[in-house]
Amino acid sequence: MTRFAESTITFPYKRSLGPVVGAFMTALTDKRILGIRNGKDILVPPMEWDPTTGAELAPDFVEVGPVGTVESWTWVPTPSVQHPLQHAFAFALIRLDGATTPLLHAVDGGSSERMVEGLRVAPRWRGTRVGRIDDIICFVMGEVPETDGGDTGAAQEPVQRMDYHASITYRNPVPAATDRAVVASRNRRLLGLRCPRCERVYAGGKGYCPVDAVELGPECEVDLPTVGTITNFAIVTPVSYPGQTETEPFVRAFVLLDGTDVVIGYSPVIELPADEVRVGQRVAAVWASPAEEHDQEGGMGGAWGSLLGWMPNGEPDIDDPDLVNRIF
Amino acid sequence: MIARSPENAISRDIAVVGWAQTEMVRHTDKSETELLMEVITDVLTQLDLTRADIDFTCLGSCDYITGQAFSFVTNLDAIGAWPPKRDSHVEMDGAWALYEAWLRLQEGDIEIAVVTGSGRSSTGDPMLIYPMEMDPYFLAPLGADPLTFAALQARAVIAAGIADERSMAEASVRSRGKGDVDALLATDYLREPLHRHDVPPITDGAAAVVLATGPRARQLVERPAYIAGLDHRTECHNPSFRALDDSPSTRIAAEAAGLGDAPVEVAEVQAAFSHEELLLRRVLELGDDVVVNPSGGALRSNPIMATGLCRIGYAANHIFGGGNRALAHATSGPCLQQNLICILEGP
Repeated sequence: MTRFAESTITFPYKRSLGPVVGAFMTALTDKRILGIRNGKDILVPPMEWDPTTGAELAPDFVEVGPVGTVESWTWVPTPSVQHPLQHAFAFALIRLDGATTPLLHAVDGGSSERMVEGLRVAPRWRGTRVGRIDDIICFVMGEVPETDGGDTGAAQEPVQRMDYHASITYRNPVPAATDRAVVASRNRRLLGLRCPRCERVYAGGKGYCPVDAVELGPECEVDLPTVGTITNFAIVTPVSYPGQTETEPFVRAFVLLDGTDVVIGYSPVIELPADEVRVGQRVAAVWASPAEEHDQEGGMGGAWGSLLGWMPNGEPDIDDPDLVNRIF
Repeated sequence: MIARSPENAISRDIAVVGWAQTEMVRHTDKSETELLMEVITDVLTQLDLTRADIDFTCLGSCDYITGQAFSFVTNLDAIGAWPPKRDSHVEMDGAWALYEAWLRLQEGDIEIAVVTGSGRSSTGDPMLIYPMEMDPYFLAPLGADPLTFAALQARAVIAAGIADERSMAEASVRSRGKGDVDALLATDYLREPLHRHDVPPITDGAAAVVLATGPRARQLVERPAYIAGLDHRTECHNPSFRALDDSPSTRIAAEAAGLGDAPVEVAEVQAAFSHEELLLRRVLELGDDVVVNPSGGALRSNPIMATGLCRIGYAANHIFGGGNRALAHATSGPCLQQNLICILEGP
């Protein structure tokens, strides 16, 4: 039975709006909707360029709506968490009065039977507006705009940036070879896979040879030495970003395992200050204690299981000028 | 009219010589790399080739769907890129990867290219992932999803008299090879005017196509499917600014690819939604004598990032089987935003 690992990726984007979209968003905070003149057309939403020819448009804004007419619609019986309303609603193409192109937005229509082309709709504004398209919560039936809650007024400064938090949850299959490597790590074993064609050995539980493009099953497994030599390293000075837990400079080292061609990359070092790491230094694997193993992730994560990193084993350095080239 | 002067004449000597696809399933336990490894091995085995024979690879996939930055780097493991190979990647359906490989082969210095398309849609929720690929200012913050865009286009296509709910249900039954039109029309709307049968399945899978040039193509197979024309065009992104009852980019690409030069017997169009098939038939002016989507099309299986490449594969099957001329169509973006047309011909 294949195991699946769930992960959520979040990108907290800050987007620059530019002179045209920025003007539109700024106007939204004042409960006004702007289009841009393009010859005889008034484009809503406004664009910086003619959608047909790509010619740059002068910033000739025209206030439109806020009331408009539904040109087309579809009914959303079961909204997603990203949708503007969490009960059944319509997505509609709405031609705002004075515009020549339709704006996509939500209509709080009650039921699909009430939706019809030609329906007149007006915005329901958020009480506190920040300069985003969802400052308009949705459109409502009729000619009268609404405001939800207390109105905190227009932005004091032009809106130049917009926050957009993209978040996606994925479920990915964990290869069987990865799971076998993790189980072996609980017994302080570092599992490798030897390709029957090219004889190359790989660590990390990948389950196939990237050179010959063949699968490597349990019959290809070999035990790897848990002692090696640092071939290269980087000292990472952490910068602050969402999800970064490191605050002090830290080392990521590459370790060539004794008697093999296997290099284990991006490894933490343990009981070894960053300014004392050297190419040629001899190190041994450090494993999580049984108590720590309840925490699924070791120091390296993924197929490395209980392997936390590497610490000096006291042997004299190896002096080999070629070592530094071994990062793969 | 699109000018096709001698200066921009294209080589007529590049052909699809084989293709393979994985099993197309709702949910696979295999990683994308494993899917590719399997399908590349399958197509090379058919042709008695090895990975060492490949001169160029171009892979089509999407990090957004995989949930991994630079996922195509891992996918290179399926190629066996040692000694180092000429390789490229497009963050698009494999049909566009094929376009790039076709251009590369025209330089004339290499003979064999492998093109892939791969995706595991089951990894995430397409209804939550695709809105994030939309315009970030006006569409993504509303969670504007693919079903909504398709429904709005379906309404425009119906209003223009190109389709109605019955002809859409008929297209769906024809594609899936099952279902009763009256029974389907009695079901609830998923997104009015779309019923569930108008909407594609969620599919995991991958496909690989081998292209070869000149004498090498004729050595490999009896009937290479020669690429007689290949073109793609895009429209502006936001459907607010487009006529949703038309597909001008499809029409221009077809003209540039030479669709009008001679009749085609088969057309494989990437119509994930039933109304798209009817709109594309109209725009491409396909008569009743043209067999459309004998494969069952994207309504039967829709492996995102490989669906378009599979259309080229199925069109090539028509040539391999003795046919003379076939059309393949691929699309990308909301409401048929970008469209590719490939014309294949027998020797």
